[in-house]
Amino acid sequence: MLLFDKVTKWYGPVIGLNQVTLELRPGITGLVGCNGSGKSTLLRLAAGQVRPHLGSVQVCGHEAWSAGAKRHIGYCPELDTFYEEMSGRRFVEVMAQLCGYSCREARRRTAEILELVGMADRAEGRLRGYSKGMRQRIKLAQALLHDPELLLLDEPLSGIDPIGRRESLELFLELARRGKCLLVSSHELEELEKLTDHVAIMARGRIAAVGTLTQIRDLLDNHPLSIRIDCDEARRLAGALLGLEDVAGVEFPDGDHTLLVRARNPRRFFQELTGLVLEEDFDVRHLETLDDSTHAILGYLLGKRTT
Amino acid sequence: MATLGGTSETPVTPPPPIPAPPTAGRAWLALIRVSWQRQARARMMVLIALGLLAFMTFLVAIITPRAWDWRYWRSPPRRGLSYEQWQYPLALARNAVPLDPVTGAVQRAAAGAYQAVLFNPEATRRAGFTRFTDSIVFTMFTTFLLPLWSLSFATEGLGREREDRNLLWLLTRPLSRPAIYLAKYVAILPWALGLNLGGFTLLCLVAGEPGRLALRLYWPAVLWGTLAFCALFHLMGAWFRRAAVVAILYSFFLETVLGNLPAYWKRASLSFYTRCLMFDRAQDLGIQPDKPLLYLPVGGTAAWCVLAGLTVVLLALGALVFARTEYLDLS
Repeated sequence: MLLFDKVTKWYGPVIGLNQVTLELRPGITGLVGCNGSGKSTLLRLAAGQVRPHLGSVQVCGHEAWSAGAKRHIGYCPELDTFYEEMSGRRFVEVMAQLCGYSCREARRRTAEILELVGMADRAEGRLRGYSKGMRQRIKLAQALLHDPELLLLDEPLSGIDPIGRRESLELFLELARRGKCLLVSSHELEELEKLTDHVAIMARGRIAAVGTLTQIRDLLDNHPLSIRIDCDEARRLAGALLGLEDVAGVEFPDGDHTLLVRARNPRRFFQELTGLVLEEDFDVRHLETLDDSTHAILGYLLGKRTT
Repeated sequence: MATLGGTSETPVTPPPPIPAPPTAGRAWLALIRVSWQRQARARMMVLIALGLLAFMTFLVAIITPRAWDWRYWRSPPRRGLSYEQWQYPLALARNAVPLDPVTGAVQRAAAGAYQAVLFNPEATRRAGFTRFTDSIVFTMFTTFLLPLWSLSFATEGLGREREDRNLLWLLTRPLSRPAIYLAKYVAILPWALGLNLGGFTLLCLVAGEPGRLALRLYWPAVLWGTLAFCALFHLMGAWFRRAAVVAILYSFFLETVLGNLPAYWKRASLSFYTRCLMFDRAQDLGIQPDKPLLYLPVGGTAAWCVLAGLTVVLLALGALVFARTEYLDLS
């Protein structure tokens, strides 16, 4: 649905995107990375707002820059300016008319989409008086109204209250279930994790990693997975674990009942751990992986702790 | 379907299949309508243009009772007697100084001819028209007001969208960029033509008979000048971030300076061709440049071809620029 083929983009002497190849299929993909990593450039290229210097960006078989591609794209930018003199309803209706719908169809779609984003009863006021969350919902509405296959969402949860966030996440999941392709850029990794475990991690204009969090985590050989295990016989379990090939080290951070294991190849380790616990009859009360979150993976990939 | 803010008991279903497919033509017409409506919100440049119109109308209204009738013209200018008053001292001199019959006859003939011309309605009409054309149409309107009024709307078409960073919303719609550019131009025209032709009409009507004649003869030149100027300033809107400033500099310096340079240099200015159209339309009434050999006007057809051709070329160039430009200042 969205294909980046060896895309390079320069801003004068600064490289925004460097030889990026990426293919997105239906479903939700999180786009994460530090400021200046190239997320916005990638989204702008996908939305056809800028053109690559090298390579090509295709949306449903059309060049992203072309008008044909725009029919398939719903873009919710981070930009927070509107036709401020208009009401929210009028703005969305105008956007629908600019998609080529008849006035009646534009009105019908506007009403449905405003209902969908929870703005039906608040859309009559002028946009200049809207809160950040309301403006965010209007942005989302204009992106959804022509029922696009590809949704590009730049910080879509920014400024939305907790209830609105939950509703937004549910809406995104529902859209993904209906076969839409969503590319969601967000700094709010915890919220993103609720939405998807498929992420593209960007660093210095490149895709540092793309895939599910588990797949990416498995590839980080230099950073063994940290697992906390609460067990009455922690020392005996530690001794048994040290015999496993994938265990890189064991610590006792909180006395004799808590074990911190560092393990490579997490999938194989968990299989062997399961067998060991069952065979030796260990009483494991709690098991938790500590650094397989997007946050931790991003930190490892970028060589620093993220905040 | 999950909803934002909706109740979970009454889920809203996604829009049903589209009954009539969206069309690019409908989107284009919608863009013209919306852009035209948004132009109605007068901003600084339009207010200045309207202020100038009010001032010029007031000025023309003040000078009209005496400015176009040559009986009130003075010789020497401003401080001498009026043409009408000159006949009395001449008559006094003729009666006071006894002349021989032949000289007296010649003098009476000359004075009679002077009076005949001074009070001839057709000659008075032509003289008034010539003065109105020179002082208002050429000096003020073509050189100054026409470019300024045109730029007040034409630079706002795209320039304002860029400044307010709303252009992004148009660029995310399924419309080709040249189509957006042309729609914006078409949306500008009713306003620009309204101001230019309407303003010109108002000035002409306030000026009385010479103005009505000027309106009848010159409105096509104003129309074509407006189209060409709008195409130029619309291009500036696509090209420059501060299009209004560039357009003002162009109007004041290039149009004014180029338009007054001798020989062929002035042919680089749009107002030259607008004036040439006017010369052509009013040549039967004796309207021509002060120094035709220095001014080197082109014929009416050539001027029309240049203005129409430039409009098309500037629009094509603007569409190309707009289609290729990445507006990085939008986000």
